[in-house]
Amino acid sequence: MSRRYDSRTTIFSPDGRLYQVEYALEAISHAGTAIGILAKDGIVLAAERKVTSKLLEQDTSAEKLYILNDNMICAVAGMTADANILINFARQAAQRYLLTYNEDIPCEQLVRRLCDLKQGYTQHGGLRPFGVSFIYAGWDPQRQFQLYLSNPSGNYGGWKATSSGANHASAQSLLKQDYKEDCTLEEACAMAVKVLSKTMDSTKLSSDKIEFATVGQTKDGKIYHKLWTADEITALLKKHDLAKEDTSEEK
Amino acid sequence: MPSRCVRVAAACWSSNNADERPTCWKLKHNTRKLAIVPTNLLHNNNNRRTQLPTQPQPKCMEVLLGITGKDFTLIAASKAAMRGPTILKATDDKTRQLNDHTLLAFSGEPGDTVQFAEYIQANSQLYSMRNETELSPSALAHFVRGELASSLRSRNPYSVNLLLGGVDPITNKPSLYWLDYLASLAKVPYAAHGYAQYYCLSLLDKHHHPNITLDEGMKLLRLCSDELKRRLPIDFKGLVVKAVTKDGIETKPFDEDEKVVKDT
Amino acid sequence: MASGYDRALSVFSPDGHVFQVEYAGEAVKRGTCAVGVKGKDVVVLGCEKRSAMKLQDTRITPSKIGLIDKHVCLAFAGLNADARILVDKARLEAQSHRLNLEDPVTIEYITKYVAGVQQRYTQSGGVRPFGISTLIVGFDKGSETPRLYQTEPSGIYSAWKANAIGRSSKTVREFLERNYKEDMDREATIRLAIKSLLEVVQTGAKNIEIAIMAPGKSVEMLPVEDIENYVKNIEQEKQEEAAKKKTGRTPGTGTAAILTRSAQEES
Repeated sequence: MSRRYDSRTTIFSPDGRLYQVEYALEAISHAGTAIGILAKDGIVLAAERKVTSKLLEQDTSAEKLYILNDNMICAVAGMTADANILINFARQAAQRYLLTYNEDIPCEQLVRRLCDLKQGYTQHGGLRPFGVSFIYAGWDPQRQFQLYLSNPSGNYGGWKATSSGANHASAQSLLKQDYKEDCTLEEACAMAVKVLSKTMDSTKLSSDKIEFATVGQTKDGKIYHKLWTADEITALLKKHDLAKEDTSEEK
Repeated sequence: MPSRCVRVAAACWSSNNADERPTCWKLKHNTRKLAIVPTNLLHNNNNRRTQLPTQPQPKCMEVLLGITGKDFTLIAASKAAMRGPTILKATDDKTRQLNDHTLLAFSGEPGDTVQFAEYIQANSQLYSMRNETELSPSALAHFVRGELASSLRSRNPYSVNLLLGGVDPITNKPSLYWLDYLASLAKVPYAAHGYAQYYCLSLLDKHHHPNITLDEGMKLLRLCSDELKRRLPIDFKGLVVKAVTKDGIETKPFDEDEKVVKDT
Repeated sequence: MASGYDRALSVFSPDGHVFQVEYAGEAVKRGTCAVGVKGKDVVVLGCEKRSAMKLQDTRITPSKIGLIDKHVCLAFAGLNADARILVDKARLEAQSHRLNLEDPVTIEYITKYVAGVQQRYTQSGGVRPFGISTLIVGFDKGSETPRLYQTEPSGIYSAWKANAIGRSSKTVREFLERNYKEDMDREATIRLAIKSLLEVVQTGAKNIEIAIMAPGKSVEMLPVEDIENYVKNIEQEKQEEAAKKKTGRTPGTGTAAILTRSAQEES
C-alpha cells in the first residue's frame, strides 16, 4: 500500500505525510554523528568521520565540516554529495548578500535560504529531497553566537546544543544531561568529545575518526573560525584521556 | 509517460524559481539580475521614456542637507517642486522613510527621483517584513549604490542624487551617506547636494563637530537656511527637516515665516 | 481505490476527487491548531505552540503567527517549511502592491492572492499542493471593520466570524459556534480565543500564543503572563460551572468546598 506514495516525486500520502522526506531523515540516521554546542564565548562543532584510512590525507579532506563564510561554519550529517551542492549554494548566497549590502549575511537568513531550497525539492521538480541535515554555527551582530539545525524537510530551529546522524537520540539525551548554561568554549569542547566518545562505537577516539571546529571571538572582538588539525584534536583527546593508544609509531 | 510530463513541468517550474536553482555558479559582472530578481521587487521599467537628455542634469537648485551628531542624523530638503523656472508646489517632501531608522532624501530629474526612492523604500520594507529585522543605514547605502550603479550602466539610467541618513538599530550610532547619480558613495559627517553645497559646506566646516546635540544641529541648519535664503537666486520655499534618532524618525518644526534680511 | 488517480498530481479520479488536494488537507490536520475570532473592533489570532525543549534556543523559534504587512497578520496550520515559502510570496506581493498602487493591500486582496498561489499548486504539473491552511486577519486601511479569512490547500478562501484550522479544528469550530456572540469587546474576544484553544490544548498558557490586531495599529503579541491570567480565570469559571451543574442535577453530591464557593458566588 505505502509503496504507491513513496517513490518518484514527493507527494502526500493519504494521511498527509511526505514519505520521501521521512525516508531522507532515515538515511541521515545512518550517517556519522555530528554535534554542536553553544557556549557563551563561542560554538563548537564536532563530527564522526565514517571513512577512515591510513592513506587518507588528514588535513585536506574534510568530510563533515565546512566553512560557509567569514563567520559561519557547518557540520553535515547525511549524504556528503548532496551536502556539497547545498554548501556551494550557501557560500554563493552569502557572498551575494555581502556584495549587495557590504555586510555579512545574518545567520538565520543564510539558514533560511538553504532551507527554502531544501523545501523546494520536497514540493516540485520531480526530484528527491536532499538527504542532509546541517548543524550551523555562526555569529552576527544582532544575536551574537547562534547554533541551528536544519533537516531535509526544510524545517530549522535554533538550539543551545544539538546533534544529528547516527545515535542522535542518545547524543541528545547526553547533551541534555550535561549542558550547562553559560559554559565556556573550553568546557563545551570537553563536553563534545565526551559525548562523541559515548555515542561512537569505539570507546577510545583518534583524530582520524573525528573532525572538530570552533567559532570564537578574539580579544579585540574579531570573529574567527577554526577547523582543527589532527594534532590539535589528538592533544584535546589526550587531555581528556579519551585518546586511543598510538600504535602506529611502534610499528 | 508520466515521467516525461514531470520533466517538462520541472523545467518550467525551475525557471520560475531562479533562486531555488543552484545552477548559477558565477557572480556575474552585472549582478542586477542575479541579486535583484530572486530577492527583491522588480523595476517596472517598461513604460519609462527611453531617451534621456544627452547629459543627465540633476536640478541643482534643489536643496538637500544632512548633519550627523552625537545620537542623531538630521536631514533637510527644500519644499519647492520645480519645473523649469516655475514652482509647481511649495509643500513638496523630497524624503522617503526606508525603515524605522533610515531616511532617504532625493533630488534630480523629477519622476526619476520618486520612482527610484519608492523602489528602494519598497525593497527596504520588504526586507524588514521578511526578516523581522531592519537593514542598517550602511547596508542600505550600499544596496542603493549597487542599484544606482547597475541603473547607470543600463539603457535608461536614473539621474538622482541622494542623501541617506540613519541610526544603526543595533549600535545606535548615527551615520550619513552621500550618493550621486554616478553611483559614488561616501560616508560623511555632514553633506549637501546642488548649489547648496557652495554656501553650506563652508558653514558646516566651521561649526560642525561630531558631538553636537540635536538643538545645536537645528541651530546649524538655521544658519544654513538663512545663508541659502540670502544667496540662492531662487526661492526654494523653505526646508522640511526630519530627525532620525534611536526612537525613530520625526519631522521637526522649522519656522517658515521668519524673514531673512535681504540686504547684506 | 482507483489505482493511479492519486499518483499523477493534478488529475481527477473517475468519481471526481483530486486526491493530492485531499491528502494535503490531512497534512493540515496533523499541524497544530490555530483559531481566529472577530470582535467588534478587534480581531484575535490564537495558536497552539509546541513547548520548547530544554536545549532549544528560545531566541530563535519560528512562530506560527507572522506578519504579511504591518496591518495583515497570518496564522497557519500544516507543514512549517511550506508555510515559510507561502508567507514569503505573500509578503512580496504586499510590498509590490504598495509600490505599484501606493495603498497597502486589503485583507481580502492578499487572501485572494494566497489562495490563488495555493490553487496554482493544485493544477500545475510536477508539484504537490501546499500542505497548509491559513487564517488571515487585519484591518483595511482607514477601515474599522475587522476581517478574518481562511484559505485551504485547494485554493478555496472564505470569510468567517470565527474559525479554527489544524488539529481538532472541528471540535474547536463547534465550540466557537456554540459560544460566539456578535460585537464582543476586546476582553471578550481574547477570552473566547483562549477558551476555544483550551479545548485542545491541555497544558495551558505556556503552549498558547495570542496576537491581537486593532485598526491602524500593528500587531500586538499578548505576553505570557496575561495569557496565564486568562487561563486561570477560565479554569476557575469552568470549575464553578461544573460545580453548579452538579448542584443543579444531583444536589449534595459535590464536595463541600466547591458547593459553598458556588453558593457564595450566586448570592
